[in-house]
Amino acid sequence: MNSRSTMVPVLCALLMLTACAKPPTEQIAAAEKAVSEAQQSGASTYVADEYAKVQGSLAALKKEVSDQDGKLAIFRDYGKVEQLAVAAKSDAERLKAEATKKKDEAKAAALQAQQVAQEAVAATLALVAKAPTGKDRAALESIKADAEALKASLNQVQMAIDTADYPVAQTKAVAIHEKSQAVSHEIEAALAKIGKGKPSAAKKK
Amino acid sequence: MPGYGLRITSIVLGWGALALAGSLPGCVEAVPQDAIEAVENIDRDLMQLRAAEFSPNDYAQFAHQWMALKSRVQADEDLVRWPWEPNDLEIALRRLQEEGAHTVTRLTKERETLRHSAESKIAQVEGRSRMMTLQVSGIDSRLVLGQKPVETDLLMKQAHAFYEQGQYDRSLDAADRAAQNLAMQAVLLSHELGRYANRDQIIGWQQMAKDTITWSRIHRTSAIVVSKADRVLTLYRNGQKIASYPVRLGFNGIREKRYQGDGATPEGRYRVSSKRGQGQTQFYRALVLDYPNEEDRRRYRLERKTGQIPASRAIGGQIEIHGVENELMAQTLGCVMLDNPQMILLFDRVEKGTPVTIVGALHEQNSIAQTLEMLGVQRKET
Repeated sequence: MNSRSTMVPVLCALLMLTACAKPPTEQIAAAEKAVSEAQQSGASTYVADEYAKVQGSLAALKKEVSDQDGKLAIFRDYGKVEQLAVAAKSDAERLKAEATKKKDEAKAAALQAQQVAQEAVAATLALVAKAPTGKDRAALESIKADAEALKASLNQVQMAIDTADYPVAQTKAVAIHEKSQAVSHEIEAALAKIGKGKPSAAKKK
Repeated sequence: MPGYGLRITSIVLGWGALALAGSLPGCVEAVPQDAIEAVENIDRDLMQLRAAEFSPNDYAQFAHQWMALKSRVQADEDLVRWPWEPNDLEIALRRLQEEGAHTVTRLTKERETLRHSAESKIAQVEGRSRMMTLQVSGIDSRLVLGQKPVETDLLMKQAHAFYEQGQYDRSLDAADRAAQNLAMQAVLLSHELGRYANRDQIIGWQQMAKDTITWSRIHRTSAIVVSKADRVLTLYRNGQKIASYPVRLGFNGIREKRYQGDGATPEGRYRVSSKRGQGQTQFYRALVLDYPNEEDRRRYRLERKTGQIPASRAIGGQIEIHGVENELMAQTLGCVMLDNPQMILLFDRVEKGTPVTIVGALHEQNSIAQTLEMLGVQRKET
């Protein structure tokens, strides 16, 4: 047997191996899953630019698969696809962690602002309850309407938290806190004024 | 001359090798580093502009192209390319850089326009809100608006907060909603107080006042007409006006009284049912009116029947024209209040049975009608 006859099976085997190159479907699926999970964790909101890039990487990966699929079987090489899939998966996992962290921080900030707002509104309502039901009613009724409005607005904060719209929840809660403090000051001033007078007995009007 | 030929060949080969060696460094770099850095700079500019949040489609388009080219850069970086070969990748990067620069310019302008819109809207709504507060306060109708003023205030605070955070779209959205809320307030006021601008209603009130004055003339006695819009009590004797006094109304006095505790001052024809002198009232002096009259009872029954008044609410009573208990608490629950020096003058000139007619307004151009008109114009402008 000469050397030429031994090379033929080796070449055939090499050709067969090359012809059998297939896209790394598992890695691609893993990358897609990781990107999807990143999106679900809020990456498109909290790390929007990075998320857009990882989506771009995924698109580039798919184009590469398509390009390789379009070639003759013996020329296909999915090495770059595999490389891109691994990178995309890794980036997506990093984004998921970052988005989760940022989302948790935003949630914590919103919850804290909500608590501060709740306490401020409770203090305002307590002050309203202290106000005498005497004669100077216009200002007090107006303040009471304001306090009730603040109480009702707390529901909007909760709704924003429930829908994970933490920026809206936080700004609303901060606004309620500020307004509540202003109303409390107004009540204290009114109480100081009315406190000098004798509250009237309730009467039919 | 074989030696000479060999030397020529050596020289030619030497120069050829030198030329090849000289050209090789030019072929090694597949993509110039500056092209990559330029696109990276564009990406940084877009991130600084928060393009992914502000204009997600534009940024997604850029990011997709950038990532596609980046993967090619990474794959092509070790390739040797002849200088005369066209470098598609470099061309694509330069094109992306150019497109990206245009996007940065456009988004910068758009963002500035949005910032300016948010700023203008905030200023506009704040101005309108201040104006409305003054106008509403001027006609004592704050309570008509219920919780709406606070809602507007909160939205404006949010608009400011988002503006400070550079989230101009959200800022504009909050300011827009505040503007809508203000418009709703104007509608609500118009709905609740529209009768002050209703010509037929005013003619009806004028007729009631006229009848009262005529009664005073015919019966040669006193009569009182109170105009809620003007906040004026006018005393007539023998059909002649003899005095006018400024008055304060209930804390919700501008409205028409419907039930007990609503703070509204009733409108209608009444009589003084009793006089309470010093020691008989806590309000210095008081003229008790015969509220509710038959018309008040009929309206109350109808509104209760139709569910407009809760079943737990009584019709109320003890509506008086009275003085001030003390100046620190100078507000009434639904009565007509005069300062004490004027109350004693009135008290001494009025007998039990004196007719008292309380109307919304006596003139078409009353303060409430004028305010409603102004609010209507502002609503259209906002």
